[in-house]
Amino acid sequence: MNIPKNLGPEKVAKKPAPRPAQSLRLKNTLVGWSFVSLASLLIGIFYFYPMVQALILSFQSGSGVNLSFVGFENYVRLFQDPVFLTTVKNTVIYLIIQVPVMILLALFLSVVLNNKTLKWKGFFRTAIFLPCVTSLVAYSVVFKYLFAPDGIVNMMLLKINLVAEPIQWLTDPFWAKITIILAITWRWTGYNMIFYLSALQNVDRSIYEAAKIDGASAIQQFFKITIPMLKPIILFTSITSTIGTLQLFDEVMNITAGGPGNATMTISQYIYNLSFKYTPDFGYAATVSYGIVFLIVIFSIIQFKAAGDKK
Amino acid sequence: MMKKFLALLFVSLLVLVACSSGSNSEADADTNDIKVWAWDPNFNVKAMELAKEAYKEENSELNIEIIENAQDDIIQKLNTSLSSGTTKGMPNIVLIEDYRAQSFLQSYPDMFYAVDDAITTEEFAKYKIPPTSFEGKQYGVPFDSGVAGLYVRTDYLEEAGYNSEDLQNADWEQVIEIGKAVKEATGKQMITQDPKDLGLLRMMIQTSGAWYLEEDGVTPNIANNEALKEAFRLYKEMIDADLVKPHADWSQFIAAINNGDISMVPSGNWITPSIKAEASQSGNWAVAPFPKLPGMESVSASNLGGSSWYVLNIPGKEKAAEFLGKTFGAESSFHQQFVEEVGGVGTYQPALEGDAYQAEDEFFGGQKILSDFAAWTEEIPQVNYGLHTYVIEDILANEIQKYLDGEDLDTVMDNAQSLAEQQAN
Repeated sequence: MNIPKNLGPEKVAKKPAPRPAQSLRLKNTLVGWSFVSLASLLIGIFYFYPMVQALILSFQSGSGVNLSFVGFENYVRLFQDPVFLTTVKNTVIYLIIQVPVMILLALFLSVVLNNKTLKWKGFFRTAIFLPCVTSLVAYSVVFKYLFAPDGIVNMMLLKINLVAEPIQWLTDPFWAKITIILAITWRWTGYNMIFYLSALQNVDRSIYEAAKIDGASAIQQFFKITIPMLKPIILFTSITSTIGTLQLFDEVMNITAGGPGNATMTISQYIYNLSFKYTPDFGYAATVSYGIVFLIVIFSIIQFKAAGDKK
Repeated sequence: MMKKFLALLFVSLLVLVACSSGSNSEADADTNDIKVWAWDPNFNVKAMELAKEAYKEENSELNIEIIENAQDDIIQKLNTSLSSGTTKGMPNIVLIEDYRAQSFLQSYPDMFYAVDDAITTEEFAKYKIPPTSFEGKQYGVPFDSGVAGLYVRTDYLEEAGYNSEDLQNADWEQVIEIGKAVKEATGKQMITQDPKDLGLLRMMIQTSGAWYLEEDGVTPNIANNEALKEAFRLYKEMIDADLVKPHADWSQFIAAINNGDISMVPSGNWITPSIKAEASQSGNWAVAPFPKLPGMESVSASNLGGSSWYVLNIPGKEKAAEFLGKTFGAESSFHQQFVEEVGGVGTYQPALEGDAYQAEDEFFGGQKILSDFAAWTEEIPQVNYGLHTYVIEDILANEIQKYLDGEDLDTVMDNAQSLAEQQAN
């Protein structure tokens, strides 16, 4: 939004301003604004207007259309609501286990696939990236069948005698969380890997050569060269993954429906339940969604600080 | 400059708002096009098609269009449209599950059209009326019964030395004993259960006229609900005896039945087509009355699911209500066909004595299951499902896990009570 202000006219204005220059400046400014105004208007209508409305909604409560203002009551309820706290806990568990695992895995795969001497590179890259183009619902349903009590995963484990009886992947509180984490890791690792791969192509080969000449091992090269060079990308992917995990919905909805009990329910699914499964309370649902906004801001700040980035 | 921009933004917003409110004056024209939303093509949609055919003799001008939607989709669409105050694209008639009906009627009070003039409420099964009416007005045209029964594998029972006679008038303790004996003899578990779906508990407590809520339909009734406690206890007994095979969704549920993994299915009568889908098991099934709760007042009849038709308050409402009244709510050829072609059990009582109900079903060893279901329908205790069935169910589904893990029953129930009071307001 600063762009038009910094356009040429500012420089013109430093000189004593004769009339024609002033009208030129006005014209330039108008042109600048007309470029951004359409986009700003659309963003205003479709992003900021709903956000403000949702904020207003979050101070109301009631069933369906019978809403009335209740002040901060919804926010008080939010912090006392055990279901909300459980969903936050579940989401944070997914976050702190799944995001680091996925990012390390993606880093590892990208380094392996960046190897110049590797054959079938294109095939492997495509194969690992392919999960990202599948629909969230479709792959969730497939995972549900893979991990069913008599699904192929249990059959395999039974056949090779790793387990004595089928693991209740979907109906046991612990295993259900594992299933969700496995599913989202499968879906998103390839996506993050692509970012690392493209970043790796920009790392100068000569740095590695120099390191090799100095006698650095492959592991040293990975930690001392690759990771520092990729730091901005790692920060970017970890923030997008964090936001993605905080908004997790499709997988949980389709694989376990939040069960057993509330063991796998995420914050987004709770919002859905409040709006559509239970007697609708859109006011409180809006409050919960502002809870997510708050969490995303907090986590993003932490990550920026932790990465020590100046820009 | 910023001010100018804000002013511009403000003006455009105003214009936008003005545009959107301009089209509000909908023509209140009468229409002959009636749209219907329903789920389940083999049951609800088929029934509606029969009604449509039956009504052609009455009024051939009415153009009825039946649109199949998943139940979850219908709920979402209704909620989003009705809460935003628009009725555009809404159907004239919509099917709503009885458990959810109050939630819609109370959340969107002016959006539904009362059908008092179109039907006679006394002619329907009594237990259908509280969920479908609101503030003294009748909004729903009661449809299918959802009457529950205990479907049993007679061949498994016989291997353990029992037959379906032993289940007549039985209570759950006796049923669990039989379930244990059958498991011993055949290795088959008794029932299959989704840990997140407490339909079984709902059926159990309704046999003694109890519900998650007090009769007012708002106040949670959990901590002092003896029926619910007994149901919890029985559920744990079944789990502890390893009589319950867990499933996570509908297809796994049906697979467990059709693969012969379990010996009993406590469910609503709408499960009949799914059980009969496995033709090789013909003659090996019977339907017993729903078991009672032991040690308390309880009848051998209950309900699971069941839904009713609602008319939305939009142009065409009078004709839609009249259509429902003359088909679902009157003596018409529809009822007979509904039984013969869909195998459903209705709630319009004058039709429950019809010949179609006397048919013997070879799949169930020649049992007259429809006549049995019709008889049980009349005994279902009337409860007010109220507003919060699914909120409380989610709380209970979570608490029951703790109870199964060994926590004290009263602690769990007290906890559930206070959670429910907090959530359901």
